Amino acid sequence: MTEEEDYDHIMGVLREERITPYNEDELETVLSIGHCINCGLCLQHCPVVAGVGVERFSGPRSIAVELSRSPPEFWATGDKVFLCTGCGTCREVCPKNVEVPEIVNMIRARIFEHRPDLVPQELHSVDKTLLEHGLAFAPWEDLEDKAESRDMRLERLNLPFYPNRVKERAEVLFYPGCQAEERAQEVREAGKVVLEAFDVDYTLLGDFNCCGLPAILLGDDKTARELAKHLKEKVGALGTKKIVTTCAGCTSNLSYLSERDGWDIPVYHTLEYLIEEIGIESLTEKLTQSEDTQSVTVHSPCHLIRHMSRQLAEYAAQIIEAMPNAEYTESNLHDSCCGGGGMVGYHSPDVAQGVVEENLRAIERTGVSRVVAPCPLCTAHIEEMLFRTGSSVEVDDLTVFIAQRLPKKE
Amino acid sequence: MSKTDYDVIVIGGGSTGTAVVRDSAMRGLKTLLLERDDIASATVGTCAGMISSGFKYYNEPEFMDMCTDEVMHLRKIARHIVMKLPILFPVLDFSEISSGGVSKGMEEYAKRVERRGVPPFLILAPEVALELEPMLHPDVVASGYIEEFFIDPFRLSVLQAMDAKKHGADVYTYSEVTDLTVVEKEGIGVSYHNRLTGQIETVKGKVVINAAGPWAHKIAKLAGANLDLRLTKGSHIILDRRIVNVGITTRAVDRRWVYMYPHENTTLIGTTDLPTWENPDELVASHDEIEYLFKSFEWIVPSVREARIIRTMVGVRPMIPTWKVPEDEVSRSFEVVDHEPQGVSGLISFTGGKLVVCRRMAQDAVDLACEKLGKGLDCRTHIEPLPGMEGDVDILGLSEEHSISQHALERMRIRRGTEVQEILNLVREYPEWRSSMCTCEPVIEAEIRYAIRNEFPHTLNDLRRRLRLGTGPCQGTFCTFKAAAILAEELELNGEDYQLEIMDFLSERWKGKRPPMRGEQLAQEELVQGVYACVANLDQTMNELDYDLKPWEEVS
Repeated sequence: MTEEEDYDHIMGVLREERITPYNEDELETVLSIGHCINCGLCLQHCPVVAGVGVERFSGPRSIAVELSRSPPEFWATGDKVFLCTGCGTCREVCPKNVEVPEIVNMIRARIFEHRPDLVPQELHSVDKTLLEHGLAFAPWEDLEDKAESRDMRLERLNLPFYPNRVKERAEVLFYPGCQAEERAQEVREAGKVVLEAFDVDYTLLGDFNCCGLPAILLGDDKTARELAKHLKEKVGALGTKKIVTTCAGCTSNLSYLSERDGWDIPVYHTLEYLIEEIGIESLTEKLTQSEDTQSVTVHSPCHLIRHMSRQLAEYAAQIIEAMPNAEYTESNLHDSCCGGGGMVGYHSPDVAQGVVEENLRAIERTGVSRVVAPCPLCTAHIEEMLFRTGSSVEVDDLTVFIAQRLPKKE
Repeated sequence: MSKTDYDVIVIGGGSTGTAVVRDSAMRGLKTLLLERDDIASATVGTCAGMISSGFKYYNEPEFMDMCTDEVMHLRKIARHIVMKLPILFPVLDFSEISSGGVSKGMEEYAKRVERRGVPPFLILAPEVALELEPMLHPDVVASGYIEEFFIDPFRLSVLQAMDAKKHGADVYTYSEVTDLTVVEKEGIGVSYHNRLTGQIETVKGKVVINAAGPWAHKIAKLAGANLDLRLTKGSHIILDRRIVNVGITTRAVDRRWVYMYPHENTTLIGTTDLPTWENPDELVASHDEIEYLFKSFEWIVPSVREARIIRTMVGVRPMIPTWKVPEDEVSRSFEVVDHEPQGVSGLISFTGGKLVVCRRMAQDAVDLACEKLGKGLDCRTHIEPLPGMEGDVDILGLSEEHSISQHALERMRIRRGTEVQEILNLVREYPEWRSSMCTCEPVIEAEIRYAIRNEFPHTLNDLRRRLRLGTGPCQGTFCTFKAAAILAEELELNGEDYQLEIMDFLSERWKGKRPPMRGEQLAQEELVQGVYACVANLDQTMNELDYDLKPWEEVS
């Protein structure tokens, strides 16, 4: 047998035994899961368990001590692991910081590879879009329609439009993420408004592509790695020093990729950029009076407060408190998840609904008229759920909410 | 023939003893198995489950042939509990491949691969080895590659015993042989202590086959026969999960072969090999053995110490008595010893042997027994399948139908094959029995009840051997109480016996947990002590119970 034949034979045996070797960057996760001491604290905090019960979703502990122990059996865990929203609450409350969200992604990747038929069909549709367009959503067919939709949104929200900038060696790359790029275009424009207001030297990508988070979450590791590779090349070619994004998921995924793949560039959510780079004083100076007083609470996205840092929730509060006529009320929900995470809403809307209901109750309890979320995906998900329940609470993306209170350039 | 008269009495319910009783019963002989504890409760219960091609035994080509035959037989009769494992032999220096008999091993191995349906010994480039197993040291220069098969040793033994019963044999566990009396021309009277009733009972066998493993010399002595055994202690470290996806074998500090195999949902690192004269029941792994295994593996898997150890397990090998040579020069084959020339007619013993050849050992011994009985009966154990192989199991469909998680059913299938259906029949009747009793192994209540009713366990430890109950990272923290309650109900245990059951099970877990305890397992132990002392008040109850501390339980 030649070397190639040997190699093909071995790979064939691994496939038959349903084994995918661990990637080197996954080893830390594998060892981390071994730290679980089965205490069950996570079960008391998991929003999915709280929302749908432990019979439907056996929870993070079972992922750590049962489902993740033997890769040849991963194929038979799809009925559980695809219900994880990846919110990271388990890891946050875990006395041993066990990386459950990461092992969930690793398991999903192996189901995708060995038993694609057991990956929910809806996720295959997303994967197809990712493969075809490099985006999580199919792009607009008619760019004029897209511009028209954008302009309508901007008009309704009273936001200006600034022309797109693409240039090399700018200080900042502004990366709106797929949701803001294709759907919630007002968030993309709001991000630009914020950067323009402080005269930041920024650029957009000439040719936008997804950071790959949806591919990671649905288990298409190969596509995820390819998208990450393309993005790294594009970012490298532009030569920017920082990345700013308005999306919570992109923030955490780009930060992870930047470290894993050696991009050597810091990634900021708009909130972080405003507090850490612009400074709350400069921001406060620019913030203008809005027409009426608003009582506001913040929905904190999992990808910010748990995958990044709880501090980001404080940043959001600081910014709202700095607004002349906004009243900030803290939600008492600490294990919040909008239910939209982990792609769960795509295939199991009842689970997503069960999870978000906890949130909606907490929002109602605050008695505010408006909830803002520093993430266009959470915003869309909560908005839809509030609308369905007939709530009068309004929903905004936080970047939009900020942009509305910043002076427009002449 | 009276009820207590047998053609063949087998002593010892390990892999060999159960193979013997199955073979003998299948040939139509009236057969009894006496086991002092439970099926697979000693040597075979502490092995890695490898049904070896005999790669290491290149100096014994005939034995290698036999291993190959037996692998193929086991794949045929027990396909549902056999799996294939690719194994790497990574080296940091090419001389490791060219020295120490490896090339002779490669040559002999290659002669037999075709029959097993695997490729010859391959030599892989370092990048391929690292792709297969990124935990390897980045400086490996090459890696050997072989494929071996593994079997669930507990299940094999239990299935052999069950199949023997199906063929009319009697199988008595917790029956410890206390005396053997040779009765001229009639056979051997066997007295045993029934540990369940406390009675001494007597039976008679025309032939007695001594498959008592590391106790075989003691059994022989009861009949006035002499049997020499070279006993060695072998210890394994068990990790909490599969930290590697393929097996790895390497040279230990003293050039012995040691290995790291993914096994079920754990990883095994083993073994040591030390001469021993201790009581096999009371042996625990020593600090030196644990360090020996770690040190040996650190060269090739540098992060091995970062992994979570859940316990160690220790067994005693009953090897052929070849003395004054290193252990790896002792033949790994077996001998069927006829004690007739010693003046003890009707007694047959084994020395040596490996799991892979247990069926063949049985065949040879029963052939000899038939000769003594003057009966020409043919062996069929290599033809007839063991229970559980009657087709495929539709995990997805059954999961949907019974509202049991796919993984719980898949774990059950791995243990039991088509027997899954029997358990689901119970679920149909008692839907509440679908709930999971163990956090680490998704064992459902119905399977516990089924095992108690059909597989003759008497203790929680017996259930563990049948279900892997309490073998996960938490080592029985959450399943012990629940399973004990079910056992008490099914076997009508009183309150005190129920608590003693819990004590015995936790004590057995402690035996393996204590020697390697460190890191996360220490935190885990705090939790289990908290559960059993603070919540269950077991530390207080213990004083009121008639419980004797085991030799490995320290008293402070």
